[in-house]
Amino acid sequence: MKRAIGLLGRGGLFAVVALYTAFAAGPFLWVATMSLRTTSEISIDHYAWPAKWHWEKFGQAWFNSNYNVYFGNSLIVVVSAVALLTVIGSMAAHCFARYRFRGNRALYFIVFSAIIFPPQITIIALFQILVQYGLYNTLAGLALVYVAVQLPLTVYILETFFARIPGDLFDAARIDGYPEWQIFWKVSLPIALPAIATAVILNTILLWNEFLYAVVITDESKRTLPLGIQRFMGDQLEDVGMIATGLMIAIVPVVLIYAFFSEKLIQGMTAGAVK
Amino acid sequence: MASLVAPTPPRAASTALRVDRPPWGAIVAFLLPAFTVYVAFTAYPVLRTLWNSVRTVLPRNAEFVGLANYAALARDDLFWRAVQNTFVWACVSPLAEVTIGLLLALALYARIPGRRFFRIAWFTPVLMSYIVVGIIWVWIYNYDWGAANALLRAVGLGAYVQAWIGDPRVALPSLIFVTTWMWTGFNMVVLLAAMHSLPSEVLEAAELDNCGWAAKLWHVVIPLIRPTILNLVVLSFIGKMKIFDLVWITTKGGPLWSTETVSTYLYKRAFEWSTFDLGYPSTIAVVWFVIVLAGVLGLTWLFRTRERLEY
Amino acid sequence: MRTLRWLVAVLAVTFASAALGQQVKLTFWSHWAAEKIKRDFVEEAIRRFEAAHPNVKIEATWYEKNALYAALKTALRAGTGPDIFYAEPDQVEYMENGLLLDLSPLDWSGIEPWAKQIWTYKGKPYGLPLEAWTIELYYNKKALADLGVTVPASLQLSAGSFTDLVKKARAKSMTPMSLGVGDRPFPGAFLVHEALVKKLGLEDYANLLAGKLSWSDPRVVDTLKLVRSWTEAGLLPTTFTTLKLGESHTYFYANPGAATFLMGSFYSSRAFNPPDKGGEPAGFQVGIMKYPAVPQGACEECRTLAVGGSYVVNAGTKNPREAIEFLDAFVDPAMANRWLENVVVQTGLKADLSKIGGPHAAYLKELFAADANAKYFFGLPNQRMQGKPKEVFTQVFNNAFPAGTISVEDAVKQMNAAYAR
Repeated sequence: MKRAIGLLGRGGLFAVVALYTAFAAGPFLWVATMSLRTTSEISIDHYAWPAKWHWEKFGQAWFNSNYNVYFGNSLIVVVSAVALLTVIGSMAAHCFARYRFRGNRALYFIVFSAIIFPPQITIIALFQILVQYGLYNTLAGLALVYVAVQLPLTVYILETFFARIPGDLFDAARIDGYPEWQIFWKVSLPIALPAIATAVILNTILLWNEFLYAVVITDESKRTLPLGIQRFMGDQLEDVGMIATGLMIAIVPVVLIYAFFSEKLIQGMTAGAVK
Repeated sequence: MASLVAPTPPRAASTALRVDRPPWGAIVAFLLPAFTVYVAFTAYPVLRTLWNSVRTVLPRNAEFVGLANYAALARDDLFWRAVQNTFVWACVSPLAEVTIGLLLALALYARIPGRRFFRIAWFTPVLMSYIVVGIIWVWIYNYDWGAANALLRAVGLGAYVQAWIGDPRVALPSLIFVTTWMWTGFNMVVLLAAMHSLPSEVLEAAELDNCGWAAKLWHVVIPLIRPTILNLVVLSFIGKMKIFDLVWITTKGGPLWSTETVSTYLYKRAFEWSTFDLGYPSTIAVVWFVIVLAGVLGLTWLFRTRERLEY
Repeated sequence: MRTLRWLVAVLAVTFASAALGQQVKLTFWSHWAAEKIKRDFVEEAIRRFEAAHPNVKIEATWYEKNALYAALKTALRAGTGPDIFYAEPDQVEYMENGLLLDLSPLDWSGIEPWAKQIWTYKGKPYGLPLEAWTIELYYNKKALADLGVTVPASLQLSAGSFTDLVKKARAKSMTPMSLGVGDRPFPGAFLVHEALVKKLGLEDYANLLAGKLSWSDPRVVDTLKLVRSWTEAGLLPTTFTTLKLGESHTYFYANPGAATFLMGSFYSSRAFNPPDKGGEPAGFQVGIMKYPAVPQGACEECRTLAVGGSYVVNAGTKNPREAIEFLDAFVDPAMANRWLENVVVQTGLKADLSKIGGPHAAYLKELFAADANAKYFFGLPNQRMQGKPKEVFTQVFNNAFPAGTISVEDAVKQMNAAYAR
């Protein structure tokens, strides 16, 4: 691989990398600068660096526009949904991957195929079910819907990984007389930590940003963050400055979570590479 | 299905249980919570949708109409236009995203300096919701002051400025560009992780054999991470077949249906056309499900592993 | 024993009076979250009603239109909609499915008959037509003076003069007409259908929309070619396809400024806000003229009149009496006058025109002058059309045709095909 760098020329590689970085992170940087400028400043020049850093806008977005409510709701819903998903998803994935029984593949296929179903149509029936069980416009109802929505993907990711764990470990555990539950807890889970981390990150990101279900199933008091941005999008004056601030509040926590988790993930991966 | 997706040593050899009968108690215990949620919030709505599709479903009554909805769907050229757009998107995107992601992952794997920073920087687009991405790119594609046209004008290519999402000829490619921007970083991270999990002996062996880097890439690395590549292609394919939020925020399926996807068309039929009928949108959902399933099965068949890998 | 009977009597009286003075709560969902003036008007009406009826409490939730429609569709399907909500007459699906309460008990003598007609379905009226609007050609008086264009006393430019205006504005790098279809399915189509109604006259125009007159009719094609000649000369902003309705207002009078603005007369509900809330800047002088005359038009005084924001009652409401009483409170010349004076848009309620005053009396005078002697076609195309023709019309004539991304021939072909079954 080191030869590869020599062949391409360090300069060329770096140029490509720098270009792609500008491409990937450029828009993010642009929004960040706009979040600290007022809309009138922005309409004069869309690309200037902030002359005056309006940090107070973050305070405004947070308190005046009900953002604290949205953030809190998003936090509760996403954390509970992801926790539940990880637990029941890994249980199901472990079962599909390690046990041979009639109907294993059929059941797995049934769960997996749900990924494909367009959400727009299940939304009506879901709405009616939630109303029926008194879960409409509750954070619990939204969390449960999120669990159902992400379950197929979670099971898919985890099952693939669980299946690759060498069977000898399980055989050894069984010989030692461990009950099935302990095998799951002490053998499968620890080894599958990288896959679980992937699933947790993916679910957190997808659910934090989820829009369609949230808008149909919630009312103002239970709104989540993606909907909160809409408050700034009145049709009068597109309040570009405040929208940008709102966007930053939505983006930054997720970036931080990723930055924290990704280290663990990569550590897990590189540790596992050396068998 | 998993055996098409991950090149595991055949299950029989390594995962057979010592006991003759599977431990049903444990199986039920493990599967019950997941299936309860699944049945209540996924299976039932799906069955309800099937039921809806052979009826005209209005708020006060539902009238059985047999296959009339399906017949109407076959004649619905707006639907088939949406299918075409969505298929194009779902085929082009994985190609772009996975290829670029692979090249980027290699760059990081080659241990260039500052790779931790790059990894995070390249991943930020993935972290943004479609609302955020949609708003930002509508700004970027703005004809007057957007970054796209500003850049073109700045380098003297002002003749090529377009109404990127206002012109039916370039609207769909513009949106495909946006999703590529979003998801390439994700593919890069996963492929990088896959590369790191490869046993180092194989790569060292290849190095000793004096392979050029291109040959090493094609004959050694790619076959080893093939299952991961397949997973990513399938995920990307499915994701684009379902895409809704981005189109809704940017073009709403316009201009002239050039970005109409099956999801947006379905939403419009269910919520925006002057009718409460849920039967026809349900028919769209059922037919679409079959098409997507066929696509996924086709993809996995295409990528089926030809030989068992041993390492 | 006597104590017991006395106790029972007291309890009975207490319960009875509690039932009589029972708190009634009405839920109310409406559009106009961002249109302060209309919102203020309705909230004032709510306050007055609550003051006059102490046992009724109205809980109002304000939405943007698209969000409101989506929320209503799901709520009504699930049987849990609000008691009173905003609707527009093109939403026939509500009436077709029996979701609205028959509003016959309202005092219809206080409402314009044409407004009642628009909301009548199978002989019964279902909506309170609060807002009505016409399509006006607003212009920047100063800009037109600078361009050397004079508006004749008839308030209607000829087609040739209008083409002239377009060229002169472009020569000075000013956008001739502000218009945007970023978030609404009707503004772009104004350009086309106001010309068509003048060329064809009321009856043939109705036939055209109903699919009884072919779009290949030479009069239709000629009109489309006329409009095309304007758009090719640079009539519209370059950001036409993504410019939102609210933004098109500020595009006209603030930044960057346009010579004219083809908009519904609800222009006032955004324009008369303070400048920092999206309103006209201080000193801006807006004029109103008629849509230019179409060569050999059958009816140059013909124009569209649409009923806009109306209020309807959920058929499943638990408090029909109070809901109808609330709507009835709007049917009052004083209310209509207040609407006209403050919101400055037409209304379906009968007003006392002799008593119109208020801060915008001059504007109202201009508005009525522009509408003088008009022959009205009731309803926008997208209120009169349904299903596939409506969808094709919107995509073709609201978005693509004004933007110049579809040819006249293709547009005609697509429309004809849409009606074919």
